[in-house]
Amino acid sequence: MEIGPQVVFRVAGLPVTNTLLVAVSISVVLIIGAALISRSFKVIPGKGQAALESVVFLVMDFIESIIPGQGRKYITFIFTILVFIFLANTCAIIPGVKNPTSDLNTTAAFGLCVFFYSHYTGIKVQGIKHYLHEYISPMPFMLPLHIIDELAKPVSHSFRLFGNILGGAIILEIVYSSTYLRWAFPVPLHFWFDLFVGTVQSIIFSALAIVFISIKR
Amino acid sequence: MDVQTIQALGPFITKALAYFGAAIAILGGLGAGIGQGLTGAEAVKAVVRQPEARGDIITVLLIADAITESTGIYALVIAIILVFVAK
Repeated sequence: MEIGPQVVFRVAGLPVTNTLLVAVSISVVLIIGAALISRSFKVIPGKGQAALESVVFLVMDFIESIIPGQGRKYITFIFTILVFIFLANTCAIIPGVKNPTSDLNTTAAFGLCVFFYSHYTGIKVQGIKHYLHEYISPMPFMLPLHIIDELAKPVSHSFRLFGNILGGAIILEIVYSSTYLRWAFPVPLHFWFDLFVGTVQSIIFSALAIVFISIKR
Repeated sequence: MDVQTIQALGPFITKALAYFGAAIAILGGLGAGIGQGLTGAEAVKAVVRQPEARGDIITVLLIADAITESTGIYALVIAIILVFVAK
């Protein structure tokens, strides 16, 4: 039984895994879909456009409730993360497709993106003197504690998503490898592990990304 | 047991100890379960006190559940590494 990403072929010595292929195809679908949908935007929205706008405004209100007044600025980053991770978590319903987020590389990449973006925002908003002063306040000996706290955030952020999705994938693989349980029994398991846990974890990931960015402001 | 049998059993002892370590590591799920049960109990109490805030309370409950689950997930990752990667 194989778990984890499997190398499919190599391009110029670099391995390409099957989770990377799924992630790239999700990105291509999102880019082409967004380009096609945004062509048909009207000033007075029809039903589909109104539904999309309500979802975007829901996320923007959530950002405003944590960082008041800056919803318009961070909505693109947060909404992209939300949609991509939602699609990446739930695409295991298609048989034969492996979750890109069951690979630690993908989740660690997202965690590092949020980490660098939050520090960049902190330096830009607070100025570098105030940003560095926060590390030695309230007492100078708290510097190692602050550094460990900052390093622990992307670790927990990425491992939470990785562990949830990989755990579900392993349980489903065990069920599929037994001769009697693989008929009709995985259907509620897919519903729980792929749809529910995937949706909740994508919302949690983007909500925590917003919280991490707001701490640094 | 003499030295030759212990040396011949070497790889099996490694795998057996790795499985045993995975069994001990998965006991970390106990903390996650207790923590999420406590958040559920407090959520029920909050809904009893103010039934019209049910939507907000359910949202906060789900967020607190997902964060409390993190340490259980760490234990699971260590157990997975021990079971599938140890030779």
